[in-house]
Amino acid sequence: MTLLDVQDLHVEFVARGLDNQLRIARALNGVSFTVAAGEVVGLVGETGAGKSLTALAAMGLLRPPARIPRGSIRFEGQEIIGQPDRVLEKIRGRRMAMIVQSPLTSLDPLKRVGDQLVRMQRVHGTARGAAARAKAEAMLAAVRIPDPARRMQAWPHELSGGMAQRVLIAMALVNDPALIIADEPTTGLDVTVQAQVLDTLRDIVAARNLGALVITHDLGVVAHYCQRVAVMFAGQIIEDGPVQQVFARPAHPYTQALIASTPGRIAQLGWTLTGGTPPDLYNLPTGCLYRDRCPRATTACLAPPPRIAVSDSHGAACHFAGEAA
Amino acid sequence: MTLGGFLLRRALVALPVLLGILFLTFMLVRIGDQDPVAMLAGPMADAPMLARIRAELMLDQPLLTQFWGYLGRLVQGDLGMSWQGNSPVTQAIADHLPATLELVTLAVGIGALVGVPLGLHAAERPNGWFDQLSRFGSLFGFSLPTYWLGLMAIFVFFYLLGWAPAPMGRVSMMVTPPEVVTGSVLIDSLIAGNWEAAWSAAGQLVLPVGCFTIVATAPIIKHTRAIAIEVMGSDYIRYARACGFPRRVIRRIALRAALVPVITFVGSEFTSLLAAASLIEFVFAWGGLGHWGLNAILLGDFAAVQGYVLVLALASVLVFALVDLVVMLLEPRARA
Repeated sequence: MTLLDVQDLHVEFVARGLDNQLRIARALNGVSFTVAAGEVVGLVGETGAGKSLTALAAMGLLRPPARIPRGSIRFEGQEIIGQPDRVLEKIRGRRMAMIVQSPLTSLDPLKRVGDQLVRMQRVHGTARGAAARAKAEAMLAAVRIPDPARRMQAWPHELSGGMAQRVLIAMALVNDPALIIADEPTTGLDVTVQAQVLDTLRDIVAARNLGALVITHDLGVVAHYCQRVAVMFAGQIIEDGPVQQVFARPAHPYTQALIASTPGRIAQLGWTLTGGTPPDLYNLPTGCLYRDRCPRATTACLAPPPRIAVSDSHGAACHFAGEAA
Repeated sequence: MTLGGFLLRRALVALPVLLGILFLTFMLVRIGDQDPVAMLAGPMADAPMLARIRAELMLDQPLLTQFWGYLGRLVQGDLGMSWQGNSPVTQAIADHLPATLELVTLAVGIGALVGVPLGLHAAERPNGWFDQLSRFGSLFGFSLPTYWLGLMAIFVFFYLLGWAPAPMGRVSMMVTPPEVVTGSVLIDSLIAGNWEAAWSAAGQLVLPVGCFTIVATAPIIKHTRAIAIEVMGSDYIRYARACGFPRRVIRRIALRAALVPVITFVGSEFTSLLAAASLIEFVFAWGGLGHWGLNAILLGDFAAVQGYVLVLALASVLVFALVDLVVMLLEPRARA
């Protein structure tokens, strides 16, 4: 069952420059993907590719000067775009929960961990009082926090980064949502803690048949924890498909470069790939946005590339995706 | 940390600070070119008489010897004699401090009650029309010289309109003042059940408190706004939105977070206005500590100046200790 269905999503920022001219930064340029129940989808790409923006848009959290000129975001069949906050507030944190990347500063510094978990349930009307407390403690145990009864009493500043991230996962899960959006959930953590936190998240998502959208720039995370992957570049998804197929036979030159630039491969290949910077979002070229950096670019790339299917579930937005690399 | 341990640590930190302030004040008044001896002796005095007075006041001794002697008397609770009124400095302080406390407490209290909500409201829509208005207002309040404000208020409300009573002290001379209990004429009148004096004292308070409130409110609005904007942009407020908390819940989280820095600021505002009260007291002939201290400085009344500065420093130490106690109650990170 499809939980999240994003179609042709465009997001732009309108800013007035020093010369008093309105300038538009086109941050998302036609993003489409779906997340189904029981599925972990990875969204990868370099900084500024629009990963977090996509997540914020899905949660209905974009604020001016960001605006959505085109596209649709449907969650459990309901359109998110244009809904007033009082409608979205019943979805956020209840049916669709977010895990953010700065756990230590994201928890309310003036409330004990247990009280924050209880508040999360009370605000959404899922439980209150002793029942909420019991659920909160059970959630802390579920995210493998040792001695949860004692941790209920802890203040956020007493937690380590990994512990705080587990608390955020517990916060996200406490209202039994259908979809989890994790925006770089382990960026601030060291590698061993990162693996522990992600293992916990994966086990819970699998056990409860949740859908999850994991945003990361770490291809290793995608390879280990996701079933499907969408690769973003300059506000577009340039390749998507099952993780094994995309990693084994990347069809887009950018994906190929990205995979080739992971530390293990660099040793084999030497530094050759993914030079250059993303295009200027204020002044996007027409045609393929990767054109200027692409080793395979020809005059055909002056036209926007369609999504070419490589297999029935794997496709890439490149004129040459169908041909052998 | 226990309350006793906290107070002990505070006292140990405050002691060298107070000592340093006293030393500086003591030396500064003496290296100036004011000669209190000539002033005390009057125009008819001859050289031997001047020398005798100088010896009596111990001003002929080395500065450090004088300071050491002052400290010795200080620990016994003797702040010396005020030459201007020929009374003990401690007595003069006890007489004048309540008037200043009354003025400053009312001004800062009203300033906080008015300024904090205005600042919070302005922060809800940064650069909105209310924010622009409040910024203009607080800039206005910042820019007005206190004494000018006082003089204009007297000119308009007393002289032109006749709404305010004469700016001559804390209670009308036609009214029998109440017996001194707290030192605040208004409160003392209410305690004594002297309604006529209470009414008069309240009337006398309106203009100076009003002027001083304008001075106190401007920075409170400005800082509350800045604090609230910072809180609203913080990670935990953004996360609260992502959790689907409604506005009312988010507002409560933000308010609670802004409380600590706002209280800290209001505390520091209180101590700085305690010192700044002298001008407004002067304009309204308020007879408070600031007025008295200003006179002491002008007349070269050394012991009084030292006492005045000591009281201000002590007040700062006490207010900040109190602020930190409140912060410890509200802020778990401060308790660690």
